[in-house]
Amino acid sequence: MRHQGGWIQRLLRSGSDHGGTLLGLVVAAGLLSLPALVFGADAAPAAATEYRDVPYVGSRNIVWVVAQLHLLLAGFVLGVPIFAWLCEIVGWKSGEKRYDKLAKEFTKLLTSAYATTALFGGILLFLLISFYPKLMNYLTDIFFPSFIVYCILFLVETATLYLYWYGWDAMQDGGKKTFHIFLGFMLNFFAFFIMIVPNSWATFQASPVVLAEGSDMARAWAATWNPTWWPVNIHRLIANVVLGGYICGAYAGIRYLSAKNTEERDHYDWMGYVGNFIGVFGLLALPFAGYWLMREVYQYNQQMGITLMGGFLSWLFILQAMLIGVLFLGSNYYFWLGITYRIPGSEMKYRKPMLAMLIVLLLCLGVWMTPHSLVASMEEARKMGGSHHPLLGVFGVMSAKMTVANLMILVTFMSFIMYWRAGKQETAGWAKVAKAIMGGVLASAAIAVIVLGVWGYFVPAIIRINLFSTSQVLIVLGVMLTITPLTALLLRSAKTTTEMVWGKMPPRAGYSLVLNAVMVVLLMTLMGYARSSSRVHWHVYGVLRDTSPYAFSPALGSAAAIMALCTFFFCMLVAFIFWVATMGDKAKAPSASSKSELPQGMPAMAGASSALDEPKAPKF
Amino acid sequence: MSEVVKLQLIGLSVVGCGILILLFIRASFVRVIGFVVIVLGLFTLVALSVPQMASLPPVEEKFDIATVKTPTDMATIGQKIFFSKGQCALCHTIGPSESARCPDLKGIGAKLSREFLFESLTQPQAYIYLDYRHEGVAKEYPAKMPYINKNPIGLSRNEILSVIAFLQQMSGEPISVTVAELDAPAAPTKAAQSGPVAVTQAY
Repeated sequence: MRHQGGWIQRLLRSGSDHGGTLLGLVVAAGLLSLPALVFGADAAPAAATEYRDVPYVGSRNIVWVVAQLHLLLAGFVLGVPIFAWLCEIVGWKSGEKRYDKLAKEFTKLLTSAYATTALFGGILLFLLISFYPKLMNYLTDIFFPSFIVYCILFLVETATLYLYWYGWDAMQDGGKKTFHIFLGFMLNFFAFFIMIVPNSWATFQASPVVLAEGSDMARAWAATWNPTWWPVNIHRLIANVVLGGYICGAYAGIRYLSAKNTEERDHYDWMGYVGNFIGVFGLLALPFAGYWLMREVYQYNQQMGITLMGGFLSWLFILQAMLIGVLFLGSNYYFWLGITYRIPGSEMKYRKPMLAMLIVLLLCLGVWMTPHSLVASMEEARKMGGSHHPLLGVFGVMSAKMTVANLMILVTFMSFIMYWRAGKQETAGWAKVAKAIMGGVLASAAIAVIVLGVWGYFVPAIIRINLFSTSQVLIVLGVMLTITPLTALLLRSAKTTTEMVWGKMPPRAGYSLVLNAVMVVLLMTLMGYARSSSRVHWHVYGVLRDTSPYAFSPALGSAAAIMALCTFFFCMLVAFIFWVATMGDKAKAPSASSKSELPQGMPAMAGASSALDEPKAPKF
Repeated sequence: MSEVVKLQLIGLSVVGCGILILLFIRASFVRVIGFVVIVLGLFTLVALSVPQMASLPPVEEKFDIATVKTPTDMATIGQKIFFSKGQCALCHTIGPSESARCPDLKGIGAKLSREFLFESLTQPQAYIYLDYRHEGVAKEYPAKMPYINKNPIGLSRNEILSVIAFLQQMSGEPISVTVAELDAPAAPTKAAQSGPVAVTQAY
């Protein structure tokens, strides 16, 4: 205990300026959770208790909110190091200090963000032990070896984070910088394992496997290696990158809206661009990981797949389509605003392509959101000849939805490439050939995706799922893997025709960044509900039945209210973390950043930086 | 006032508050909060506008052997199990369907013996039923038939016999399962409550 107390004291001291605030947060949250435990204790005697409840609020709702907040915060603290490390590498390779500064600015958040995440993890653990002792006993019996691994991972992660953060300024040059980059890699390496260990507990609940008799370690390992473990690991890894990018974008958007001077507007405009860039980068790959996960779910248990896609959760996927659609529209809209306001003269040049892309996106969204069967009165159903509309029913099936999802990814990718190339003149001799190839690849891919989609109506489901849908995904991935390096090569020798102008974006750009972040968080809460509800009345699917009064899955409307509440709380928590982390900066740095660190030209991350033309030459 | 209406009113109030903030507050951060609140309120309202379906845990079918007097009684119970606890209709159809993932069971009671049916339900991998509806080599169906007598479905022997009685009756065959074959009441009838002692889901 003495050792533990010392550790806590050191942790508090390390918090320096904000230690008191953090301590206050911990104490306040702990006090807030106490009444719930007391209620729970009153609800039933402790002996042989399987469940405890909280009157009026419900134990399940409390666990739901706390678990969701913990998960979102965990996504944030795992996404931010990836984001920061990528920025640091870009800054290291390009020599542009502002990337390093951005990376440091976000790494600073981690100390307070980790504390908050751990705090919610601790509260969640206490609540689970109190309210769901039967389930926790069962899971502990199987997984306790991995609990130990988890604790060890936390220790090394914390040590690495301290070295990474406190050593930032001391490790700026030569080999020290290389070592610092290595530390950043290790930080993400350990963070990845911190993510996948608890993933195994959650995925085991959804897709348990046969546990043969054997050692504790063997049983834990067998349970860990369940069919949905790796699909969820990859899906969450990419989703964390997306979350980190869009949260960065939202922060930049808010700071941009409240910027007091030109320097701040320039800086936060650029930061918003970087955040959106990384968010879209991950977003383009995310649907493929989601598709893999659903395939594994279907392969594991068809009933679970049908519950998700065709059962009571089928309407959830219409909501998901709406949120993803808004996210795609928001991300594209931000790209288009960037082309219009940051690259003078580009507005007229790209107006028609942008309009065409907007129409395609809206049409695709319309198809994606078309439900398979419509809510209709008896009379309406009789007129339609069933619950399927004669025309719209065609769009409600998987073949149509897979096609439009892939087309939306292609369009967003086109926006991304268009923005990357805007204001640049290719000078390479092979530029014309390369552009023709890229155009041909994009057009062929779009046609192939549509043809496969239409053809999918006329083949059995198994061929469509295993062959056609997979081919569509591979085609779109192939387009990205072909055009991205080709564009990078093409723009390496390109010259800047129009200098990028920062800080001229209208206020709606800031709001679109905030909207994108809210959509990502809502999507995470929505799909968390879907994953949990797919287990229906089982704690561990097919093995440990939920016999509590909360064995039902609530309807979408009331579930959405809790999702909205979780999203709001999370946004406020993140705002608090940013506020705490930047409080010291405002106090000690009243003057704006030096002129030499102002954004200049297009960032190297997009591969078309004016700084790449003349890396060290100041532009102002 | 129903729960949905209450939530709709709350959602509308939240959106209204957000609009008021945007109209009357100048502070950027508060305006962003107002914007977020509007988005979240609209999301909730949209979610409330789609069909509200909760997933209730299935009522565990009590197989009361005392009420079963004839094979027809067994078939009646079997039909209920087929469309509820047994979850057979999730994948199988009775009659041809374009979207069938698994074999059409129309007339299956006439095509297959009761022993084969019992084996198909309790040892589904013992004999793979192939799909010949394509040109070329026949293929396995994409869905693996689950073990019906194990979790998560976990039908008891009595319940499986009743389903077989239903399949035979539905196919116009005489029901070959007899009431005398049913287990005595003391026999376990709720395999789904086998508890957390072993993980049985095969993969």
